[in-house]
Amino acid sequence: MVGLFTVVLEILAGVVVVTVAAIVGVRLLRRARHQRRAALAAGPRRALLAFVADNGEHGSADLVAILGDAWRVAEPAALALLGKLRGEAHLALVSVFLERGVAHTALGNLRSRSRVRRARAAQVLGDLESRMAVPELCRLLGDRHDEVRVVAVRALGRIGDPAAAWRIIASLDRADPVPSLLATHTLVQLGAEAEVTLSAALDHPQARVRAVCLDALGLLGATGSVHRIARVLREDAYLDVRVAAATNLGRLGTRSALEPLTQALGPARPAALRAAAARALGDLGAPGAVSILADLLDDDTFQVAHEAAHALRRLGHSGAEALGAAVEAERIRAGLARAGAHARPSASASHAQEALALSRVGAELGGRMEVVA
Amino acid sequence: MTADVVREFLRYADVVIFSYFVALNSSYLGLIVLAGLEFGRHLRRMPFAGADDMFRSPLTLPVSVIVPAYNEGPGIVAAVTAMTALRYPRYEIVVIDDGSSDATFELLRAEFDLVEVPRVVPGEVPYHSQVLSVHVARANPETLTVVRKTNGGKADALNVGINLARHPLICMVDADSLLDPDALLSVAKPFGDDPLRVAACGGVVRIANGCKVIGGRVVDVRMPRQWLVRVQVVEYLRAFLMGRTGWSRLGGLVVISGAFGIFRRDLVVEIGGMATDTIGEDAELVVRLHHHLRRRRQDYRVIFVAEPVSWSEAPTSLRVLGRQRRRWHRGIAEILRKHRGMIANPRYGRIGLIALPYYVVFELLAPFIELAALVLLPLGLWAGAVDVAFLWRFVLVAYGYGLLISLISLFIEEVSFHRYPRWGDLLRGVAAAVLENFGYRQILAVWQVQGAFGALHGRRAEWGAMHREGFGAAAESAEPVGVGVDR
Repeated sequence: MVGLFTVVLEILAGVVVVTVAAIVGVRLLRRARHQRRAALAAGPRRALLAFVADNGEHGSADLVAILGDAWRVAEPAALALLGKLRGEAHLALVSVFLERGVAHTALGNLRSRSRVRRARAAQVLGDLESRMAVPELCRLLGDRHDEVRVVAVRALGRIGDPAAAWRIIASLDRADPVPSLLATHTLVQLGAEAEVTLSAALDHPQARVRAVCLDALGLLGATGSVHRIARVLREDAYLDVRVAAATNLGRLGTRSALEPLTQALGPARPAALRAAAARALGDLGAPGAVSILADLLDDDTFQVAHEAAHALRRLGHSGAEALGAAVEAERIRAGLARAGAHARPSASASHAQEALALSRVGAELGGRMEVVA
Repeated sequence: MTADVVREFLRYADVVIFSYFVALNSSYLGLIVLAGLEFGRHLRRMPFAGADDMFRSPLTLPVSVIVPAYNEGPGIVAAVTAMTALRYPRYEIVVIDDGSSDATFELLRAEFDLVEVPRVVPGEVPYHSQVLSVHVARANPETLTVVRKTNGGKADALNVGINLARHPLICMVDADSLLDPDALLSVAKPFGDDPLRVAACGGVVRIANGCKVIGGRVVDVRMPRQWLVRVQVVEYLRAFLMGRTGWSRLGGLVVISGAFGIFRRDLVVEIGGMATDTIGEDAELVVRLHHHLRRRRQDYRVIFVAEPVSWSEAPTSLRVLGRQRRRWHRGIAEILRKHRGMIANPRYGRIGLIALPYYVVFELLAPFIELAALVLLPLGLWAGAVDVAFLWRFVLVAYGYGLLISLISLFIEEVSFHRYPRWGDLLRGVAAAVLENFGYRQILAVWQVQGAFGALHGRRAEWGAMHREGFGAAAESAEPVGVGVDR
C-alpha cells in the first residue's frame, strides 16, 4: 500500500513539475519566436512604410522580392494596412499582393476542407477586393458552416459587386441564415446599382428578406422605391416588416412618405408600428406632421407618446412650439384645478418637458459650437 | 458495539469525501480542458473575426451601458471617462447614483458638466425607490445620462437603468470596473453574429490590483503586491476565466458576472428585470432567462467571451474578502432555492440536468464537504477507521490534484492570453497556486458555509464597507484614498 502511495505521490509531483516546466517552456518559446519574427518583419515593415509614404509609386518591386518567411510574418500587418489605405496607394498594395500570388492561393483555399482555412481565404479576398473571387464567394454563401458564410458575406460587401445581391438575398432564405444586419450592411455596400434587385425583393415570400431589403433601401437613400415601401407599410402581414417600412420611409425623407406614415399612426394599429411611425415623422422633417404628433403626446402608450415628443423636438422650431404649448396647457389646467406646484404633471406634459429640456441642451451645444467655429 | 458503528460510519464518510474530491477536481479539469479548446478555437479565428467591420458598420446594435454606483467617489470619474472612450460605434452610458452619501454625483457633475432634464422614467420593469433627478452631459446629451435616486440596492438601481436604457442591448458594468477599449465590441459581437439566438453574453473579469492604470485604462498588467490578492488572481483564472468558458462551451452557462455582462433588453424586460429579493441578482437573472426561454422552447444561447476584459478591484483584507465570499455563496444558495424546480428537471435541458445539479453538488456543498473533511478525517484516523496512507491519499487528491488544476489554468493562460508578461509575475502566480491550499481554501470554506446558512435563515444581507483605492493617479498607492461600499 505504501509502495502504491509512493508511486502516486511521485507521479503527481512529476506532473506538477512538468506543468511548471511547460509554463516556463511556453514563455521561453514565445519570447524566442517573438524575437525571430521581429527580426524577420523589420525589413518588410520598413519597405511597407516607405511604399505607403510614396503613395505606392515606388517600392512595389522590393515588396514583391521579400522572401517567403519574412513575407509570411509581415503579411498580417500588410493586410491591416490595406484596410486603411484608399486610392492609388490601396491599388498599388493590392497589386503587390496579386503579384505575390496571394489572391491565387486564397482562391484555392476557398475549397479547402478546413473551415478555418476557407474563412481566412474569404477574408483575404475581401481585403483585396478581388472581383474575380465573387462567384466562388457566392458559392460559400451556402457553406455548411455559419462562420464561413458570415466571412463570405462580409467579403462580398467589401468587394462591392452588385451582381452578388441576389445571392446574398437568397442566403437569407434558409433555415440557418446569415445575420440580417450583416446582410443589410453588405447590400448597402453593393451601392445604388443594387436598388432594382432590392426593390424587387420586397415581394419575396420570406419576411426576413423583405425586412433586410427595406433597411438596405433606406440606407441607400433609394427614393425611387418610396411607393413600393409605402405599399409594404400598408399591406404586409408581418409587424416587423411594417415597422421596418415605417422606419425607412422616415429615413428616405420624401414628402410622399407623410401620408402613409400618418395612416400608420391610427389607434387600431399595433403600438410598435405607431411608435415607429411617430419616430419616422420626426426623421422626415415635414412641418405638416407637427399637429399630428402633438395629438399623440397624451397617447396611452408610453412609447408612442415618447416618440412623438422626441419627433417634435427633431422638427425644430415648429415642433418646439407645439411642445411648449403642451406644457403651457398643462400649467393652465393645473392652475384652474388649483393643484399647485406639487401636482404630478400629465403624461403629455412630462414627455413635452423632457423633449424641450433636451432641445435646449442641444441648442446650447449648437450655439457653443458656432461660437467656437 | 457503538464504537464499531462510529468507526464504520467514519470509514464510509471518509471514503465518500475522498470520492467527492476526486469527482470535484476531475470536473474542474474537464471544464479547464474545454476552456483550453475554446481558447484555441477563438485564437484561430481572430484574423477573420470581423471586429473592425462591426466597428465600422452603421447597423451594429447600439448598447446601453448601465452603471449602478453607490459611494464610488474615488473611482467613478476614471471609470466613466474610460467608458466614454470605448471603441464601439453607438452606445450610451447610464449611471445610476443609488443614494450615495459621498461625492459620487458631485464629482460626475463637475467632470461632465451635467445638466438636469425632466426625463420620464417608464415602468417597463418594476423599481421601488424614488428617482430624484435625471441629468445628461451638456456636451454629449445622447451619450451620458446620470440618474439620482434614493437608495434601493443594486438590483433596484439596475432596474431604473434598464427602464431608461434606449438601446436594444444592455450591458451591466460595475462602477469600479475598467473596461478594455475593445471590451464592448467583443462582448456584443455574438449578438451580431447570431442575433436570432444569442440572449446574453458574459465577459471575463480580471483583477486590477497592482496593474498600472492611466486614464482609466489598464496599460500594464502586473501581479498585485499582496499574497491575498495574488491567490485571488489564480482563483479568478481557474474559476471565472476557465470555468465559465468551459460551461459556455457545454451550453450550460448560468452565471454572468454583474461586473460585465450584456443582455437583450427586450428579454430582460419580458422577465421583469433584476430580482430585488436575492443578493446574487446577476446570476439569478441568467437562471431566470434560461427558465423563461426553455419554457418557451426557444432556440437560444447564453455565452461567455474570454477576451478582452473588464478589470475589477479585489478585496485586499480578510475582513472584506470574507464579506464578499459570504455574499457570493449566499447568492448561490438563494438562487438554487428559488429555482429548485429546475434542478434535475429534463424540461430545462442541460441547465436542469447538468449545470444546476453541478452547482448544488460542487458549488453549494463543496465548502461543507471541505470542512467535514477537516473534521472527519483526523477523527477517522484517531478512531482507526482509516490509516495514514488513506489520509495522504486524501491530501493528494484534495490538495495535490487541486494544485495541478491551478497550474494547468496558469499554463493555458500562458499559452493563450499571457496577460502577465513579467517572469516575476509568472513565478508569483505559481507560488500563489501552491499557497492557496494552505489556509486560504479552508477559511474560504468557513465563509461560504456562513453565507449558505445566511440564506437558510433568511437573515438580511448587508453590503458592508470596503476601502477603495480608485483607478486614477492613486491606483498604485498603497493608501486608500476613500471609502466606498463593496457591492
